[in-house]
Amino acid sequence: MTKLLVAREYIKNFYSKYEIYLWPVCKFLFAFIALIIINGEIGYMHRIENMAIVLVVALMCSFLPMGCAVVFSGLFVLLHLYALSMECALVAFMLMLVMVLLYFRFAPKDFIILLLTPIAFVLKIPYIMPLAMGLVGTPASLFSVGCGTILYFFLNFINENNTTINAMEDEIAAKFRYLIDGLIDNKAMLVTVAAFAVTLIVVYVIRRMSVDHSWTIAMVAGSLVNVMMLLIGDLMYDTKVSIVGILIGSIVSFFLAKALQFFVFSVDYSRTERVQFEDDEYYYYVKAIPKLSVATPAKTVKKINTQKSQNVVTKTAPKTVNTVNNTGRARTETVHTTGTASTASRMGGGTYSTAASHTTGASHTTGAPRTTGTSYSAGARPHTAASRTVGTAQESARPVSTVRTANSVAGRTAQRGDERGSLNRDK
Amino acid sequence: MLNEERIILMTHMASYEEHEGKKNVIVGNYFRSDYIGFQVLKSIISASIAFVIVFGMFIFYDFEAFMQDIYKMDLLAFAKNVLIAYFLMVGGYAVVTYIVYWIRYNKVKKSLKCYYSNLKKLSGIYEK
Repeated sequence: MTKLLVAREYIKNFYSKYEIYLWPVCKFLFAFIALIIINGEIGYMHRIENMAIVLVVALMCSFLPMGCAVVFSGLFVLLHLYALSMECALVAFMLMLVMVLLYFRFAPKDFIILLLTPIAFVLKIPYIMPLAMGLVGTPASLFSVGCGTILYFFLNFINENNTTINAMEDEIAAKFRYLIDGLIDNKAMLVTVAAFAVTLIVVYVIRRMSVDHSWTIAMVAGSLVNVMMLLIGDLMYDTKVSIVGILIGSIVSFFLAKALQFFVFSVDYSRTERVQFEDDEYYYYVKAIPKLSVATPAKTVKKINTQKSQNVVTKTAPKTVNTVNNTGRARTETVHTTGTASTASRMGGGTYSTAASHTTGASHTTGAPRTTGTSYSAGARPHTAASRTVGTAQESARPVSTVRTANSVAGRTAQRGDERGSLNRDK
Repeated sequence: MLNEERIILMTHMASYEEHEGKKNVIVGNYFRSDYIGFQVLKSIISASIAFVIVFGMFIFYDFEAFMQDIYKMDLLAFAKNVLIAYFLMVGGYAVVTYIVYWIRYNKVKKSLKCYYSNLKKLSGIYEK
């Protein structure tokens, strides 16, 4: 479980880090899959089955709002139906228009469900829709799922009866009547819509209950209700559903809903806390359930660029020489320091070289007063500290923190040396 | 010097402004009656178009029979029935719209109130 939680944190971190790139990629993939499925299922117009067109449209969807993928998919569906028969396209267009005018005007965010539901039907896992929407949506989502189901069954009806529709060549009114009958008298569709609506409400109500494992209970209850309703519907209206298909689809949907729960609602019921308190107006009975979360192990990737660190040392070296030219003692010390620094930089990299340059800075401070002997004593400390620092770095070459501390110690000591130097000058 | 409390507050507010805040500020500029009235009007137009589509499909479903009966039927009674159906559908839809947007307006006002109180708090932090 811990590994899964760590993986989830990694995914979350990765997504939040690259969201700006990942979101368009997701939109592209979604539109691409939807269009491929549409072309595969109702491919009557061969011109738009061209992969180049699909790719261009999916690419357009990647930088347009999510709703555009639904609009383009709708256009593809209408074009395919138009290639089969103009009446089919007309009825489908009117159906979609009524849905948009009456429901999706209220909930434009649910527009995507209109496309997701038929896709789930094609993938043989439609039962995930009422479960998922009951878990993360509101009761109003049943309209979105219902609209998606109606659309799927209508397209499926056209697909199954395309030869009959084609046979009615010039009988426009008969064709129209046939299509409307197929839409209204579709018992399987009505049973499925009713089953999904009840399932969604059941899942929503149980999920909101203040009981432990409410999400899991909701999923199990929802799946059972769904299966029962579909089977009862089959017995009552002879909808000819596949019992094995329903069972397998429900099991797969349950596990998918579990995966959704893992990402959306992961809590630790073993650490549930119940507190009770009151204020002037109310008594509060609070149940607090901690979220399951783990911290991802922090990995610090340190880039070692030997060439660069050597350059740093090379740059600092002339400075040191210039400084030490003033005093003989300082020369010895500085040369020593620089030598250590270069060794360190060969060993370790960036941080070492920085430490080295700090050390050199310290020596620079040493040389700054130039004239008085006291300044040596003041400067001697920083140098000692710096040498010690590099020494520490050499001893424990790997831990970054040690080096950083050493670096800061060197810097601080150098600063202190600077202050002391100025104090001495004041004296 | 960085003020952590101020930065957190500003981040929350910026996030709000970037997401739901944009729409909420527009909604908040309306009076309740204006906003709900405008939405109901849009719903009436939508429902009218939907009614015309459904009615058209109903007529076209059995167009031949309809054309045969058109001279025999009582057109006034038919028109009355159609109008009753229209008013029932549009009226029902308008009532639902009224309720939905009344709830939404209240939610928006509440969230904007919270936003403005945060704004005041932020200005208080600056004045300290």
